[in-house]
This record gives sequence, structure tokens and C-alpha cells, in this order.
Amino acid sequence: MTEPLRVMLLRPWRDPAFRVLALALAVAAFSIATVLLLRAELDARFQQRSAEVLGGETVLEGSRPAEPAQLQLLADIPAARVMNFATVVVEPEQVLLVSAKAVSDGWPLFGQVTTAAGRFEDTEAGHRGPAPGELWVGDQLLDRLAKRVGDSLTIGSLTLPITRVVKQEPDQGTGFYSMNPRVLMHVDDIPATGIIGPGTRYRDEWLLKSRPDDETLAALKETLRPDQEIEDVTDAALSTLGPLKQLTLWVALAILLVTLLCGAAVYLTSGLRVRRRARLVALLRTFGATRQQVYRRLLVSEVLALAPVLVLATGAGIALLLWVRQQVGWDQPLAAGLRDWLALALAPLLLLMAYVLPRIRALVQVPAMAVLRDEGNQQPGGLALAAALAAPLLIAMLLTGSLSELVWLLALLVALAVLLPLLLWPLLVSLEKASHHTAVVPRLALRRLTRRPMLVLPLLAALLLSLSVMTLSMLAGQGLLEQWREKLPAEAPNYFAFNVFDADLPALADWQSQHGARSEPLYPIVRGRLTLINGEPVREAVTKESDRAQRNLNRDLALTESAELPDSNRLLSGAWLRAAPGEVSVESELAEALQLQLGDTLQFITSQDPVNVTVTSIREVDWESFAPNFYFMFSPGTLDGQDVTWLTSFWLPAGHGSRLAELMSTMPHITLLDVNALLDKAQGIVEQASDATAALAVLLVIAAVLVLLAALLASQQQRASDQALLRTLGASDQLIARVDRLEFLWLAGLAAGAALLVCLAALAPLAEALFDGHWPLSPWLALPLAVAALIWLAGVQASRRLRHRPALDTLRQG
Amino acid sequence: MNSSPILVASHLHRSVPGPDGQLTLLEDINLQVNAGEAVAIIGPSGSGKSTLLGLLAGLDAPTRGAVLLDGQPFSELDEDARARRRGERCAFVFQSFHLVTDLTAEENVMLPLELRGDPAAREKARQWLERVGLAHRLQHFPAQLSGGEQQRVALARAFAVTPALLFADEPTGSLDHANGKRISDLLFSLNGEAGTALVLVTHDDSLAARCQRQLRLESGQLHD
Repeated sequence: MTEPLRVMLLRPWRDPAFRVLALALAVAAFSIATVLLLRAELDARFQQRSAEVLGGETVLEGSRPAEPAQLQLLADIPAARVMNFATVVVEPEQVLLVSAKAVSDGWPLFGQVTTAAGRFEDTEAGHRGPAPGELWVGDQLLDRLAKRVGDSLTIGSLTLPITRVVKQEPDQGTGFYSMNPRVLMHVDDIPATGIIGPGTRYRDEWLLKSRPDDETLAALKETLRPDQEIEDVTDAALSTLGPLKQLTLWVALAILLVTLLCGAAVYLTSGLRVRRRARLVALLRTFGATRQQVYRRLLVSEVLALAPVLVLATGAGIALLLWVRQQVGWDQPLAAGLRDWLALALAPLLLLMAYVLPRIRALVQVPAMAVLRDEGNQQPGGLALAAALAAPLLIAMLLTGSLSELVWLLALLVALAVLLPLLLWPLLVSLEKASHHTAVVPRLALRRLTRRPMLVLPLLAALLLSLSVMTLSMLAGQGLLEQWREKLPAEAPNYFAFNVFDADLPALADWQSQHGARSEPLYPIVRGRLTLINGEPVREAVTKESDRAQRNLNRDLALTESAELPDSNRLLSGAWLRAAPGEVSVESELAEALQLQLGDTLQFITSQDPVNVTVTSIREVDWESFAPNFYFMFSPGTLDGQDVTWLTSFWLPAGHGSRLAELMSTMPHITLLDVNALLDKAQGIVEQASDATAALAVLLVIAAVLVLLAALLASQQQRASDQALLRTLGASDQLIARVDRLEFLWLAGLAAGAALLVCLAALAPLAEALFDGHWPLSPWLALPLAVAALIWLAGVQASRRLRHRPALDTLRQG
Repeated sequence: MNSSPILVASHLHRSVPGPDGQLTLLEDINLQVNAGEAVAIIGPSGSGKSTLLGLLAGLDAPTRGAVLLDGQPFSELDEDARARRRGERCAFVFQSFHLVTDLTAEENVMLPLELRGDPAAREKARQWLERVGLAHRLQHFPAQLSGGEQQRVALARAFAVTPALLFADEPTGSLDHANGKRISDLLFSLNGEAGTALVLVTHDDSLAARCQRQLRLESGQLHD
């Protein structure tokens, strides 16, 4: 390295203001890199998951095959065909309704199909469906028909061998289990089955790997038959990702705050840097340097010295993202696009330039002699303030991508940033008044705060905001995690058993106790269909648009009765079922789709007598809970006399899977559903989310401490001079230290106290929005105090260094 | 006049590390200031006047030699003990006033009294501000006072503690002629009334002439 370059790179590091500036930019660059890349990854995952659930990025579906002209329009896009239909499998002693899916080559377009070579064999994930001449069937079908892989099964008039057991399909749809046994086959085998003919009820889907361009889409819409519709990933509802999305929102907000705080630190320290170099600039101007030369000299050295820091910090952000991808098992190429990479490289520079350039500009415009005589006004002007406000907004837009989601939080943040100093102002004024009547140590400590409102109010607001957001995001994060943990306790049910007969119950209970399986409540199940609403046939009562209602009415539903409202349900209207037959409680979204009201009468047909009930309550159901949930729950006694089987779930310790084979051999008609894989995935997400909120809290604390250090540096000269004077007048080191400790105690204490109030005030709407009206009061509320203690310690430590400067040197400089 | 020595400096030597080895700032300084005596130390810029004042006031430690205050070793005490002794016996007036910016005029004068634990600090501060003609400026902060007013507050602060020894470092250096004259008149009049010993560092010969003794500092050495 050449000498001038080394000087240029290393000299700025001798200035403590530069070190804080560099650290603030490094934290900002790291946060920005992480959040931009993570957002791109998550967007891609959400998009991919949506496409998986839907089957394609765009789907053309109807009750008949797509028209040749339509397929001609879509010819350029890789596609797969899927036919969904219900059929009956007839075996010598059983008739079984199955839900069949015929798939073409190329299916699945997104995600993987999980299959196994046998009922209890290890699973493997693949990217193809059954070949012509093969049948893949679900666990339930094997259990119900006592079949094995290798046996044959007749679908319509075609008999095919069962070659694999299908465990999970990417486009299985919402909900984590399907009541009907599953059959997967190839579309080429469909004609031979003779099942699909004119008038057969089935859904024919043409899945597209990518979204057609707008022109093609418009042309396609022109050709749609009444039975056809186009579904798009953007329309796909992903209710299961709800809590994660809320958490991501908090993460984005907290990162935004980290960037804002780092911005504040950069603002303060770059101001100091520029002020310290004012004399150099004035001399350069006196010697005839042009403005351009001054800009170049000041900026080039600053940017050059900061470049390695920015590269390292951004690199650390990228490394963290790669590590997260490895942990989560994402093996697709990095999702970030050119725009993300550009934003990631430019955002920290934007932060620096927005704060430094206007100040240098102001400095260059002050006459050189005014600077040399210390008459120059180097206070930030309008441009500097405008840039200081615009830069974080620009970065917020880069960070959030879709500002619409964050807009109210951002508005709240800006409002608080403006309002907080105004609200805190009277507090400072009353402290100033009180300080007139206090002893010398508290007076000196208080005055350091009350006499510098332009520095202390924004600092107090920044600390308060970071403590509040940190606490609220931890509370929101932890609250959501707690909710998940409640749903997924360590011994959450990992097996569901259907079709349990009355006679099986004692044997099942014996088996469970023998293997340490913890059983959940039993639900009686009766299969039935809703036929009449207030005496009118359902199909007339339900509008065509109610797709969800249509889907639920076209299949047998599991009806149950219960004296208790399940934990995962919440009553929205009406009263819970009385202990008398004839009442039904309906799930809220279905009730809305069917336009059901309290007092409506419903009739269900079952294998026995029809069931007539009155709607007495509407329930909200948490479909994400790993517990049995039902659209219709009847009052006890309503299902008397019906053909009842039982549904239960239980937790079986790991390693006991093989015992299930034993259970199935004694009770082959029972259908067992294994949710271990789903549980593991959910538990993994819970742990990662928990780590993310903790890491975020650390970043926020670092950012808050950086702002404090920057503020300390900004007032360092005055502070040192006051301390030297106190010493000259006879004050001991201990007394000066007491003043410092008390000053930071006031600062951190005020910020923590106010943050606690903000948190409690914010918890009211938050409790309503996120936690079903329950206040998530928890030990986390003590977090502002704990972090304030850290901030106090950082402030005391930083000011300690000043105390050890010789008083004489300081007084001479002053 | 009491002629017992209040401040004695013997063989004071001060050097600092420089690029070519040790750089000598002060060399073999011997000085005695008696109680109530006014001594001026004059010399050109860079002659070491302020360094000497710092050593005499215990704000800095000599490389060699010793300072005695009231006949007791002063320069050998640790920092806190020196600060305590200084607070009890000495006062200061600086060229750039050095008031605590966060305290009012009244509180600035109260400060050294409070550090001594004086319960009547407020009353004394008011009396002294009245004596320097600033009774109407009690609650003003330094930034709200003119240079001359700030130096008057500094004088009130210095004399409020009835010091045995007052160190004044270019007390009129930052003031215009008229204000400088007013401050020096006030300084010598208060000093005369209180019978305080005065060590005045200045480059202003007319100001030095008002002291009983004038010493000249040149190239780190003190001459009568």
C-alpha cells in the first residue's frame, strides 16, 4: 500500500467521531443487507408456497377440459394437467368414497411430492407423479381397504397396481388433512377407467409454470366458459403464514428503526467530522482551492476510509443470510434480484451522503475568513434537514418493498419522532425548574440534560422509540411464539386416528397406555352433507361466487357434537351449545359464505335419519392449531342414533412409530394420520423466529448505544471543559463521577419509564389486533429497564474517559 | 501585611516528550508568594506562563521539584487531595471566564461554596454578585451575559470563598479596553479588601505594574 493511500485509509480512525460514524454505518449496512436479502428470500418462498398450494403460478380451471383454442394461447408456457374427482372404489366387502387426482407428466410444477415404498416405510420427496399404469394411494386408503403396496385396485373399469404410498402433495390445498382417502394416477389412464364422461362432476385444471403476459391473460379471459375461472398466485390466501407475516412486519419495523438510529448517529458524528475539518476547509479556500476540490478532498478520503467497513458489514449480512438458508434448508438460487443488490450496495452510501454532503456544502458556502475567526454559522440548514428526513424514508422504501403494509407503522414512527420531542419538552422544563432547588450534584446532572434540549430531546426520543419498539417487537414476537408453543407443546398430538368404532375404544386406550401415548379428547364423527337452509335446498341458497362454500358442500363433512367449546375456537356471536339436542355452532367463514344467521335452521343428510338443527352460535376457528377442528358442531344428543365413529389424536414418543403397525394389524379399519413432519417444521420455524427477535433486540441496543455515543461526542468539548473547571474549583473525581452517573441515570430512566408507558398504551390496540383482546403482559415488559441499565453503563463508561484528561489541557483548549 | 509564605515553589522543572527527546518547558523555578502579596508573572507567548500557573495551582504535576501550600507539600498529593486543598484555599480567574454554561450566574458563584459544604452558599453568592454589580443578573445563564459580565461573575465566584490565594490567568485578555480596565480595577479592589494573595499571569505590563512584585518568565526560566 502506498504511503498516501495508507494515510488516507487509516488517519480518519484516530478521530473517535469517525469510529462511531463507521460503526453506525456498519450496523446500518449489515441490517440493510440482511433485511433486503431476507425479504427477497421470503417473498420468493411465499410466492413459491402460494404456487405450490395453487399448483401453478396461474391456473385455468373448469368442469370440462380447457378448449383447444385456449391451450393454443398458452402453448408457450410449461404446463401440467390435473383432474380432480370423487369416485367409489368397490372391494368385495367394502365400498369406499375416494378423492382421486389424475396428473399429467410435468406435475408437480412447484414443490415436491412426498411418497413412501410402504405404509410405515421412510418417506422420500420427488418431483414427479405416478407414471401411466401406476396408482399411488394415501395411508387412509391402505388402512381402510387393508391393502399393501403391490396389491391391485380397481378404479372404474381399470385395475392398476398400487406402486407407492402418497404422504403429501404440494397442491393439497389448505388444511392439513383431508377426510377422504386419496388416489393419485396418470391422466392417460383416465379414458380406460370410463369414469369421466359428459355430465360427470369433476374439476379439470390446467396448471401454468409462469404467469402469462397481460395480453395473453386478457385474450384468455375473453374465451372463458361460464364454468371456467383463472386463479393466480396473487389471489391465493396463505392463512397458515399469518403469524410469520406479522413477525416479519415487526422485524421490518425494528430494522427500519435500527437504520434510523444509525442514521441519527451518522448525522451527529458526520456533523462533528465536518466541524472539526472546518478550519482545513477554510485554509484550503484561502489558498485558492475550488469548491469542487474541497468536496473531493473531504469526500474521497471519507468514502475511501469507510469503504472497507461497508464491504465487511455488507459481507457479514450476506454471510448471515447464507447461514440462515443453510439452516432452513433452502437450496434454490439466491432470490435477490439486481434491484436488491443495487439497493444493498447503495443504501449505506445514501445514508452517508445524505448527512455529509449538505453539511460540506454549507461549510463551503461560509466565507473562509468567517470560519477562521470562528464566526461561521455551520449549523445544518434547510437542505441538511430535508436530506436527513428524506434519506430514512428512501431507505424505508427500499427495506419494505411494499410500503403499503408498513405505512401505518411508518406514519406512527414519524408522528412519534415529531411528537415525542414536543411531548417530552414540558418534562424537561419541569425538571429544569426542579433543579433550582436541588443539591449541587443532581443540579449539575439535571442541567446537562435540560440545558441541551436540541440534543437531548431527539436523543431521548430515539432511546424511547428504540426501547419501545424493541419491547413491543419482543412482546409481539414472543406473544406469537407463545401462542404457537401453546398450540405446539413439546407433546403436541403427532397422530390422528379416524374411524375408531365404539368397540375399539377400550383396546385403543390399552394400547395408548402401554406405549406411553398421551390421548386427547375423543370426538364422535358422523359423515353428512348440508342439504337445506331454512327449508330451501342449499344450491339455491348459496350464490355461485361462494367458492369456499361450494367446495365444502360438495363433499361429506365431518359432523361432531361437543359440550365444550374447543380451546382453538372463539365464540363470535350467540351462546355456546346447551346440553339439549337440536343446536349447531357454525364456523364463521363458512357461515359468512353461506350467509347463515343465528336462528337459521339447517338440515343435514347422513346415512341415517336427517339431522335438523338451529344455528345458535358462530365460532372463529384457528385452523392453524394442531387440534381437530370442525365446520359444524352440534349440541350433545343431536347425533344420537347416527352411525358414529370416533376421532382422536394422541402423542406418541419418538421411536415408537413401528408400534403403530401392531395397532393397525389389530384394528385395520382405523385411519391413522402422521403429522410429525408438519410438527417438526412448525417447531423449527418457532425456534428460528425466536432467535430472530433476540438478534433484533441486540441490533437495536447497539444502535441505541451508538446514538448515545454520538451524542456524547457531540457534547464532548463542553462536558470536558465543565469537568476540568469543577476539578479546578476543588471537586473530587468521585463527585464528578456521581454527576455523570446521575445524568445517565436520568436519561436512561426517563427513556425507560416513557417507553414502558408507550408500550402499555400500544398494547391496547395490539392486544386487540394480535392477541384476541388479551394483554400480553409478561416479564418482557421489564426489558426497557434492563436495556436502560446497559445504556446507562455505556454512557458512564464513555464519559469516564473524559474525566481522565488533564484539567489544564482542557481549560487551555476552552 | 502578613509576610508568612503561603505558596513556595522550589526547583520546579517541567518537561514533556517531544519528537527529539524531552522538551523542557520550565527549568529550576523558585518562587515564594507571601500571604496578601500580589505577584505578576509576565512573559511573551509560549514562555510557559500558563504551565507555571498550572503547576503552582496543582492542576499539573512537576517533572521535578515541589510546591508547598501553607507550608504543606502540595504537588506531591494525589489528584483528589490536591483538588480538596485547592478548593479550601485557592480561587481562579481565567482569560476565557470558564463559567459552567449549564448553571446560572448565581449558581456559578454558589458552586465552589457548595463544594465546600457551605450552607449559606446562596446568600453569599447573592451578596457577592451584588458587590460586582450583577444583582439583576442572578438567574441569567453565561450565554445570556456579556464578556465583561461573565468575568465579573468569575470574580464573584473567586472571592466568594474568601480564598487565601487567587490565581488569575490573563483575566482581561478576552475583553476590550474599557471592560478590561473595569475588571482589573474590580480585581485589585476586591483583592485589597480581602487581603488575598494574588498570582497574576499576564502579558500586559500595565496590569502587572499594579502588583507588588513582577517576575519575568523567559525560555522557561524565571527572572526578577
